[in-house]
Amino acid sequence: MAEKKILLIEDEELIIRLLGRKLVSIGYDVTLAMDGEEGLKKMKENKPDLILLDIIMPRKGGFDVMEEMKRDPQLTGIPVIIISNSGQPLELDKAKRLGAVDWLVKTEFDPKEVVEKIKKYID
Amino acid sequence: MTKEPDKNTNTAIPPKPVIGMPRPGSFSAGRDNLADKTIEPVWPSENKKADLAAAMAAVSSKDSYEAALGSEWQTDERTRQLREQVKYAEASRVALMNMLEDMEDLRRRAEEEKEKTLAIITNFADGLILFDANDRFMLANSLIEAAFGVTREEIRSLIGKKIVDFQMINGFRPLTDLIGPVITEVSRKELYISENEIYEISSLEVQSGRGKVGTLIIAHDISREKIVERMKTEFVSIAAHQLRTPISAIKWTLRMILDGDLGPITEDQRDFLDKTYKSNERMINLINDLLNVTRIEEGRHLYNLTQVSLEELIETLVGNYGQILEQKKLTIDYAKPAAKLTQVKIDVEKMKLVVSNLIENAIKYTPAGGKISVTIAQKRDVLETAVKDSGMGIMKDQQSRIFTKYFRGANAIKMETEGTGLGLFITRTLSRPTAARYGLRRKRGRARLSSSRCRWRPNNDCRAPVFMLAAFFG
Repeated sequence: MAEKKILLIEDEELIIRLLGRKLVSIGYDVTLAMDGEEGLKKMKENKPDLILLDIIMPRKGGFDVMEEMKRDPQLTGIPVIIISNSGQPLELDKAKRLGAVDWLVKTEFDPKEVVEKIKKYID
Repeated sequence: MTKEPDKNTNTAIPPKPVIGMPRPGSFSAGRDNLADKTIEPVWPSENKKADLAAAMAAVSSKDSYEAALGSEWQTDERTRQLREQVKYAEASRVALMNMLEDMEDLRRRAEEEKEKTLAIITNFADGLILFDANDRFMLANSLIEAAFGVTREEIRSLIGKKIVDFQMINGFRPLTDLIGPVITEVSRKELYISENEIYEISSLEVQSGRGKVGTLIIAHDISREKIVERMKTEFVSIAAHQLRTPISAIKWTLRMILDGDLGPITEDQRDFLDKTYKSNERMINLINDLLNVTRIEEGRHLYNLTQVSLEELIETLVGNYGQILEQKKLTIDYAKPAAKLTQVKIDVEKMKLVVSNLIENAIKYTPAGGKISVTIAQKRDVLETAVKDSGMGIMKDQQSRIFTKYFRGANAIKMETEGTGLGLFITRTLSRPTAARYGLRRKRGRARLSSSRCRWRPNNDCRAPVFMLAAFFG
């Protein structure tokens, strides 16, 4: 079976390195993007099976990315898990409206638990 | 012998006025005028009397004389009957006029009521759309035009049509998407027209004594509240981001090192890293508390109510503390009720915060070997979750201050130097909005039992649990 493709869009270098390493070690095909614009470009080039998306990022934030994905028929339907340091009800509602499947607050989860969530949606 | 006509054989019995007869003292000024306009009965004229005398004089025989007498009697009788008929006709006319006036009065009142209703609908602070008993559109006020960006002409074109036909007007599409092709019960559903135009939509069946007379769709403008809420959310979001970003990076790094993802470590290194990890977790808790307080002090809470089984929620919550209880050598006892309790509508996240603060306090301030018990019981329309511990309790002279922000009991500080003093403040504040009471029951000395009470309303809405801290144990 082909490796599942995960696109990780996150501006925090340490998080990218740690989570990227963890996901590769499990066997996922991981693509990294450091902001929303780069993320949108990479998801169009190489349609991923799942997207891990940060919310507050330079150039283009996570909500903007999701709004663009909603408008593009090729990108709708890709499961998006939000990984953020925030997580207020209003933000959760907005993410849900835009089609996110889950929201993980980084301080409340560790990489191992993030992997468990990913498996829930694509394995 | 001449047979006298039977006076009771009245061939022209006037009809009895049944309704609308003049009622003493019940006339309006207009009716009095009408009553004054009586029709004068026509009495036999003097000429007619002379004619009768002439006729009598012309009769020569006795029989003819008697016949003339009979004729006179008949004429009198006929006159009497005519007078009666005229009287009844007049009464009927007055009654009819009264009925017409009553109808006019009713029509005028109905017209006035209609105008009042229209004025209320037109000037109502919310947008209103009214449908009749058959769900056919009747009218909408001007706020609807503004809310959905539709013209008066477009609204008029929908009169007599059903909600599904509203789709023909572009501006109404978000509304029909929300309500659906037929009018269903909608309660305070948020409708985003644009980023800065948000309405709360509800549908309401209009009832009268005869049953359903129509349906009202209400569009309440919540744009301002939402914009303010969004600005505050953005602020807290940025603050959360700035505070949490470095500590989440530390957490993830330490976790991966401890899990061996970044290579092997010695036991000594593990010990140091483990302690660092725990310190970092405390920092996370502190930031979480501060963020919760910030949100509380915004003065607004979003309540996301869902109907749940509180006993199952508490069971899950208690299960989360297994590891820390083991480390602290504490035992926790949760006796799940044998019978199912009433499901209540609660904000799950807030209820978790309320109850977990109580449990965490018990864990934090109970020495090793101690016991904690969590119970949930239903007493009529109250669900009470109680957390009891064998810990140090709260000194009597400090009980009144334990809900204030940043306050920590003197004995608590001695036992556990770290703590924000925000836990019970958050618990109480989240519980307080409609709570009728909370407080301490000072019986003897120290309070050791805290509980969260959830009283629900008829729709099982338990938005604000009542929080109590009670000193049942000395």
